[in-house]
Amino acid sequence: MERRGALRRLIAYAALLAASALPYGVSTMLAPGRAAAKRNYLRPPGALKDDAAFVSACIGCGLCGEVCPPRCIRFHTRDGGLKVNTPYIDPEQAGCILCDKCMEACPTEALTVIPRDEIDMGIAEIDQSACYPWVDKGICGACVSICPLGGKAISFKMWNQYRPIIKDGCVGCGLCVEVCPHPSVPIWVVERSPKISPRV
Amino acid sequence: MTGGEGEMRHAKPFFLWRHLNKLRWVSLSVVFAMLVLLPYLHVYQTYVAAHAYDLLAPSEQRVYDIMEALTQPFIGDPAEDLDAVKGNTWSATFWGLKLSDPLAALGQMAAGMTFYWPFLFTALIPIGLSVVFGRFFCGWICPATFIYELNSNLVSWLRWAGLKVGNRRFDKRLKYGVLAAGLLLSAATGSVLVAAIYPPAIIGREIYYMIGIGGFGAGTMFFLGTLLFDLLVARRGFCRYLCPGGALYSLLGRYRLLRIRRIVETCNDCAKCNAVCEFDLDPLRDGFGQECNNCTACIAVCPTDALAFTIRITDYPAQGPGHLGRQYRGKAAAGGKTVAGQEDAA
Repeated sequence: MERRGALRRLIAYAALLAASALPYGVSTMLAPGRAAAKRNYLRPPGALKDDAAFVSACIGCGLCGEVCPPRCIRFHTRDGGLKVNTPYIDPEQAGCILCDKCMEACPTEALTVIPRDEIDMGIAEIDQSACYPWVDKGICGACVSICPLGGKAISFKMWNQYRPIIKDGCVGCGLCVEVCPHPSVPIWVVERSPKISPRV
Repeated sequence: MTGGEGEMRHAKPFFLWRHLNKLRWVSLSVVFAMLVLLPYLHVYQTYVAAHAYDLLAPSEQRVYDIMEALTQPFIGDPAEDLDAVKGNTWSATFWGLKLSDPLAALGQMAAGMTFYWPFLFTALIPIGLSVVFGRFFCGWICPATFIYELNSNLVSWLRWAGLKVGNRRFDKRLKYGVLAAGLLLSAATGSVLVAAIYPPAIIGREIYYMIGIGGFGAGTMFFLGTLLFDLLVARRGFCRYLCPGGALYSLLGRYRLLRIRRIVETCNDCAKCNAVCEFDLDPLRDGFGQECNNCTACIAVCPTDALAFTIRITDYPAQGPGHLGRQYRGKAAAGGKTVAGQEDAA
């Protein structure tokens, strides 16, 4: 008799638990599907180069996001897997302004204070088959005028005043991505690798 | 004469100890309010930095106005001066002084298998305070405690309304297993996983996500799960049996200096202290142990002022039934003179 009561209670509690998860499940099912094939996100400036080392060093306190003036630092949540609670920058939402505040705020070695020239979040890359001036669909120059590093990182191609080209000084802050007016965003920050050398 | 001296020795404890529980609620409320306020201040800072007042939606302008009114008297430049206090209980900055949770230091050490001294130093002050005051973080600061204790009150209301709520008891050593498993998993995966199952870290973060970024993460679901566990299975069950941070603080506070003791001469065995103890300890039989978080709820509820702070590194050994209780007085009546003689000698 006692055991039957316990069993019934157990079932009732399980039902209550399942019912409490119902709104979440329904909202997840009704939500529109995730955007296909995300482009790579950036780590905040000063992040450890090795991403595995970065993930193990980051304690997920959120201080870097909490001091970020443009609020460009977001955090992996349910989508992150083991990267959960670690920060990222989606340059399409907002680019980094290289203010150094996150590096100073981070209590761990995940973000260490380094000079601006040594920051390496990636390097910008331009899709020359889409960028308006590159396909002769008008003049733009938004990316060049927003760049906080001036001529070291991006400039116009010689002989054509509005075709932007990336230079080796680019640190990958992503402000050019944020301002790019083209709907397909033909400028993006990719990982710096020997393959992707600056096209001059 | 001798009796008078005895009474002098067992004079009432310092009157403030009875009111510390209220102070504790003030402390918990302030911490929680800060966790809500800081993200709003950050949002305000970002508006200021962008010089964007005219571009803001009406609701955002309201945030801007309120935060400006709150901070105007104290600061000059919001974009810079409001950086003085940042963070949450997992890791925070106060005017350049960085403080971190000891569990953060331990978890990060396990995940990275490295020592990064600047970070470990930020956990030194909390560790030192825990060695002296024991598990005080759990009772006085933890933002989850604020909600868990309200949840406990809800349990009382539900029980009063006749609904069945759980009050199951498990082995309190379970949480040391959770701590060990969390650290081992952190080491195995190379990610600070203890942060994902530690309610204060979750709350600080999730409040920031909700206000500063919008939306919430998996932590909120986990925290709601622990609330249900407390409600339906075991009273204050997560803190008692599962919390890895609580386990760490218990270990640190095992030989804490400041602890609560029972004054056996004025105790009347009413057991209100045991009933009110959120951590299922046994103040009535001098059983505080390493898990006591010095929350002072038992001091506040004691009708005869028989609980007080003391400075010792171990609990008093069991002192037997309280001298004002029926059991002791019954024995005294039966034993007659011998007990009275002992009392004189004491």
